[in-house]
Amino acid sequence: MFEKMKDIIAEQLNCEKETITLETNFKDDLGADSLDLFELVMALEDEYSVEIPSEDLENLTTVKAVMDYLKNKGVEE
Amino acid sequence: MDTRVTKLLGIEYPIIQGGMAWVAEHNLAAAVSNAGGFGLIGAASAPAEVVRDEIRKAKELTDKPFGVNIMLLSPHADEVARVVAEEGVKAVTTGAGNPEKYMELWKNAGIKVIPVVASVALARRMERYGADAVVAEGMESGGHIGSQTTMTLVPQVADAVDIPVIAAGGIGDGRGFAAAMMLGAEAVQMGTRFVVASESIVHGNYKERVIKAKDIDSEVTGMSTGHPVRSLRNKMTREYIKLEQSGASFEELEYLTLGSLRNAVMEGDVVNGTVMAGQIAGLVKKEQTCREMIEEIMHEAEVLLKIQ
Repeated sequence: MFEKMKDIIAEQLNCEKETITLETNFKDDLGADSLDLFELVMALEDEYSVEIPSEDLENLTTVKAVMDYLKNKGVEE
Repeated sequence: MDTRVTKLLGIEYPIIQGGMAWVAEHNLAAAVSNAGGFGLIGAASAPAEVVRDEIRKAKELTDKPFGVNIMLLSPHADEVARVVAEEGVKAVTTGAGNPEKYMELWKNAGIKVIPVVASVALARRMERYGADAVVAEGMESGGHIGSQTTMTLVPQVADAVDIPVIAAGGIGDGRGFAAAMMLGAEAVQMGTRFVVASESIVHGNYKERVIKAKDIDSEVTGMSTGHPVRSLRNKMTREYIKLEQSGASFEELEYLTLGSLRNAVMEGDVVNGTVMAGQIAGLVKKEQTCREMIEEIMHEAEVLLKIQ
């Protein structure tokens, strides 16, 4: 899941895949603004067929937070 | 002229008046709706009861459909969202964020929801969460702006969603209207042109400043804070930019603009106030009634688009 996640993040936020760790913070480390985050979350919704309502977005600040969130929604890989 | 937007909103012409803070009050909104367009009351940061009062006053002036623009960063956004549902308007447009959490409330009240978006992903998301249309607003607009132009954003949004797209930013006459239709829009939203309408309550100094504006008078401040604002250059914008370049804090910069839009609109302080207007201000040459403006734009556009 982490590998696939890195691919999605690298593509959506135009950053180097190698630099992404579990602790990477979208805003602080990758300079993502709110439009970037919508870009990312739309790609995640498409990829994993889940709904990520906006009230959950503010907690999804790091790669790990997103992965835990998706696992809670039943996403396995 | 019929498009999916005129049907959605029950209006004659696909022209929507922008929900400008302080400017878009009941007189202007009702005048635009009475002229066959779609007027909006700009809730901006106003308390909910003020918005309720504005809605009721607009209803006294028109029996045509109109709407409210809700600025989602307003401290009163939750209450305003509820008041709008209670009072009942035809549609709500939203700015500065994501209106998902109010979607159900408004839908249940029979209100059409039209978010203003500044990117393709946000437009797709709004469609997925039930929006009836989107306003694709380019950075030619006055006030708070995004980073893409109307020319580039509108066709990309039109390709990405199935719901109708309303083009905004830089449109001020029939040529702009026709161009927006060519880009895939089914309506336009205009702010700056309506600022100088006879029915608009903005101070005479403000109207005069917009009418006299040249193409290069448009200035963007606040780029460094992540909240860019477009207005007409004056003493305030020059001071702001000087401070910005010297690395002033967000708080210092905010202080400079505190109440400055209100001072310009209501008191006519066009020197130290913020004279928000879009890049198209240079094209706006005279005060006319909303009806004259809308009929002129539609006539120009129909000739260009060769429709009867």
